[in-house]
Amino acid sequence: MPKKDTRFSDEKGKVLMLGNEAVVRGCLEAGVSYASQYPGTPTSDIGEYFHQILRENPEVKEYLVHHWAVNEAVATSACAGAAWTGCRSLNPMKHVGLNVASDALSVIALAGPNPGAMVIVVGADPGSLGSHQEQNERFYTWMLHLPCLEPHTPQECKDYTKLAFELSEKYDTVFEVRTSTRSAHSRGYVELGELKKGKAKGEFIRNIPKFNSLPPHSINNHVRLYERIEKIRELAPELGVNKIIPGDNKIGIITSGMPFGYTMEALDQLGLDHVPVLKLGMIYPLNYGEISKFLRDLEKVIIIEELEPFLEVKVSEITQHHKLNVEVIGQEYFPKYNEYSTGLVATSLAKIFDKTPSEQVTKAIDYFNSYKEIVPSRFPTFCAGCPERVTLYSILKATNQLENTVICGDIGCYVMSFFPPQECSDLVICMSGGLSAAIGMSTKSEQKIIAMIGDSTFFHTGMAPLAEAVGYNSNVLLIIFENSWTAMTGHQDDVLRYLIRRGFSIENICRALGVPWLRIEDSYNPKKLTRTIEEALEAKGLKVIIIKRECGLQAHRWRMSQIKDLKAQGQKVQEVAYNITGCQVCHECSRILSCPAIRRTKIDGRETMQIDDDRCIRCGVCYQICPNGAIHKSIIHALETEVPFREL
Amino acid sequence: MSFNETDIVNVVIAGTAGQGVISLKRLIEFAAQKAGVEIILGAEQHGLAQREGAIISHTRYQKKATGDPRKNLNSSLICYGDADLYICIEPVESLRRGIFASNKTTFVLNERTIPPILITADLEKYPSLEKIKEILNGFSKEVYTMNATELSLKEFNRNQQANIIMLGFAIPTGKIPFIDIEYYEEVIKEWLKDPDDNIKALHLGLNKGKEIIHKKKK
Repeated sequence: MPKKDTRFSDEKGKVLMLGNEAVVRGCLEAGVSYASQYPGTPTSDIGEYFHQILRENPEVKEYLVHHWAVNEAVATSACAGAAWTGCRSLNPMKHVGLNVASDALSVIALAGPNPGAMVIVVGADPGSLGSHQEQNERFYTWMLHLPCLEPHTPQECKDYTKLAFELSEKYDTVFEVRTSTRSAHSRGYVELGELKKGKAKGEFIRNIPKFNSLPPHSINNHVRLYERIEKIRELAPELGVNKIIPGDNKIGIITSGMPFGYTMEALDQLGLDHVPVLKLGMIYPLNYGEISKFLRDLEKVIIIEELEPFLEVKVSEITQHHKLNVEVIGQEYFPKYNEYSTGLVATSLAKIFDKTPSEQVTKAIDYFNSYKEIVPSRFPTFCAGCPERVTLYSILKATNQLENTVICGDIGCYVMSFFPPQECSDLVICMSGGLSAAIGMSTKSEQKIIAMIGDSTFFHTGMAPLAEAVGYNSNVLLIIFENSWTAMTGHQDDVLRYLIRRGFSIENICRALGVPWLRIEDSYNPKKLTRTIEEALEAKGLKVIIIKRECGLQAHRWRMSQIKDLKAQGQKVQEVAYNITGCQVCHECSRILSCPAIRRTKIDGRETMQIDDDRCIRCGVCYQICPNGAIHKSIIHALETEVPFREL
Repeated sequence: MSFNETDIVNVVIAGTAGQGVISLKRLIEFAAQKAGVEIILGAEQHGLAQREGAIISHTRYQKKATGDPRKNLNSSLICYGDADLYICIEPVESLRRGIFASNKTTFVLNERTIPPILITADLEKYPSLEKIKEILNGFSKEVYTMNATELSLKEFNRNQQANIIMLGFAIPTGKIPFIDIEYYEEVIKEWLKDPDDNIKALHLGLNKGKEIIHKKKK
C-alpha cells in the first residue's frame, strides 16, 4: 500500500522534508495564493512542489495559482500585481535571478506589497554548485531594503517563510527568505502546522502616490520605506529568530544560515565549549541594541559567513557607531569564495584560538591531497543522444575544429559546451549574453562568430538581442536549440511547455523579426547539419539555424513509455541496437562526438569502443558518423511497429 | 566499533548521476524516522542531477539528542575525516570524495565502473580497482567490494536495483546502526516502485554482505 504523502496535506506531526519543501509548506500555512518564478537551481523544485499540489488536490486550484514565468523580472512584477489585489504572493529565484528581478524589485520595494504581502525566496549558491557563478547577492537586501531571514534547517525554512508573510503584510514591505543550495536541499524534520486557504479573489484599489514612482511619489515612498525598515529593525529582537548560544569566552562568534552548523560542529571538535555564538535569523536589518548587547563583554568577535563580508561590514558599522571596544575579524581568516564546511571553519578557528586542529581533519586533508591527482575528472556533460552535443559535433566538423571561429555560449545545458574534449564555447556571460556579445564582437572581428541559445533562454531574454542583430544585420550565426524543454533545471512543466501547447513557433518569431537567413535543421542528421553550418558561415550578415530536436533524455523517456505500453497491450515492437565491430579506435565518436554511452574497452586483448546498451538511446548518430563503418545497426522484429522519437 | 545513542552517524553515498544516490539517502532517512531517530539532517545534490556528473549525498543522524545544543547534530554536511561509512555505487567516486574518510571509515564499493568521457577519449586514465582499493586501504582496512550492477542485471534484467543491493551490502558493516531491516522494507513498500524487486535486491545485497564481511572479519 503506498503511503499518503503528508508533506502538504492537512495533517499533524513531524515529516522529513527538504528545505524547499518546507518553504512550500510554509506558504500553504501562510495562505499564499499566487506564486511565480523562472526555474533556477536551487529554487526550481519549489515550483515543482506547487505543481504537484495543484495536480493532486484539484480543490486547491480554487485559490492557488502558480506560474512559471518567462523570466525573473516578469515573475517579480507579476507577484507584486497579485499582492496589490490583497493576496499573498511568493517569488522564488536563484541568486543571479535577483539580478534580473532587481529592476522591478527596486520599485516594488519602494511601493510596498500592501494590501497583500510579498516574499521573495532567493537561493544563494556558494561554491557555484548549480550555477555559472557564486555572486554574493546579500548586498541587494541592503541596497533595496529587503528585510531578510536566513534559515538553516528545514524547520526554519518553514517557520521563516510563514513569519516573512506575516511581517510583509503588517509592515507593507517585501521580505526575503534567503536559502542556499545546501539549506534548500538538506532534509530534516519539520513540524506541520495548520493549513490556511489563500485568497481566491482580490481587487486592485487605486492609490496613485503608492503605486506610481516619479517625484514626488518616488521620494515620499523612499521616506516611507525607511520608516518601515526602522520599525522592522526595532522589532528584530522580539521575532525569536536571532538566538544566542551562551558562553563566557572573550571571543565570540556571529554567524547565520549554513555556516552556523559548521561553526557549532567545529567548536565542538576543537573543545571550544565556552565560545558564545549569536546566530542571526534575520541578517538585514540588524538591531543595534541587540548586537551591542552581545558584543558588550567581548574583546573580539569573529564573523563567519560565506562569500564577501556582508555581516562583517554591518557589524563593524555598529561597533563604530556605538564606539564599542571590540575587534571585528573574519575575512582575514576565512576565504571570500567557495563553499564552507565544518573542516574549513574548524581549520580557521584553530588558528584564531591557537588550538591544534583535529588530527582526523588534518590527516583526511593531507591524505586526500596525496592521491587526488590520479582521480579522473568527471564534469557534467551532455546526456547520451543529446541533440546539443551532436550540434557541437557538426560545428567542429564545419569549422575544421573551430579554425578562426569564436563561439559565444550561453546559459542552459549548452553552458557545458566548453568542457573537453569538445571545448566548443569561448565565453559565457548570462542569460542571452552570448548573442549580445556576438553583436559587439562582429563589429570588430573578422572571425566566424557563432552564438548559441536554447529555446527557454530565447524566451527569457533572447528575443531582444535577436531583434538588435536583425536591426544591424550583425555578421553572426545564431544557433537556436529548440529541444522543447527547460532541460538544465530539470524539465519543469514551465512557460515554454505552455507555449508549445498553444502552438508557438520560434521559426515564426524569427520571420516576424525579419531574420534574413533562416534554416531549420535536425541534429540527428549530422552530415546535413554540418553542410548547413558551412553554408551559413560563408554567408554575410545574420544567419539563424533552428535545431529542432527534442531533449534526448525526455525523448528517450517518452519512447520507452510508448514501447512499454505497446508491449503491455501484447504488441510486438521493433527493437534497434547498435554495436561495434572492427573499431579502428580513431576517436571520432569519443573525442569529437564524445557520447557517454560509448566506452573504450579491450576485447581479446584488442582495444575497441563499445556501446553500453543500457545507456544508448538509439539516436543513431554514431552509426552515421563512424568513418570506418565499424558501428552496425541491427533490428529485431523488423516488420513490427516502429516507435520513432516524437516530432516537434 | 559500536555506536552510542547520542553519537552522530555519518554516511557518505557517492556515485554518478542517475545511479540512485538521492533515492538511497532518502530510503535510509525515512527508515531512520521509522526507527525513532530524533535528529536527521543531511544534504543532497540537486540541479545537475542527470548529465553524468559526480554525485554525493551526506546522510547524518543522531538516535537521541543531548540536552546540550553544542553536542547535537548541527550541520547537514559531514566534516572531513568524519564519515563512518561510504556507499560508493561507482568505484572511483570513493576517491573523489575521499576527504570525508579516516581510519574509522568502512567502504563498500560497487565494482561496475562508469568511465567519464575523457577516459573513453583516452585523454585521462581511470585507476584500476586494485589501485583504488590500495588507496582506500591507506584510510582504513575495511574495504569491501561487489559487482552490484552485474547482480542487478542478472536478477532483474536492468541496472536500477544496484543502489538497493549496495545498501543491503552495507548493512552488515554495522555502520548504519539503530535501523532494523524491517524499517527499510516498510519504506520500500510505501515509497518505491517495484517493491518486491527492491526488497529482493536489499536481501541479495544483505546476504552478500554477510558472506563477505563475515569472512573477512574472521
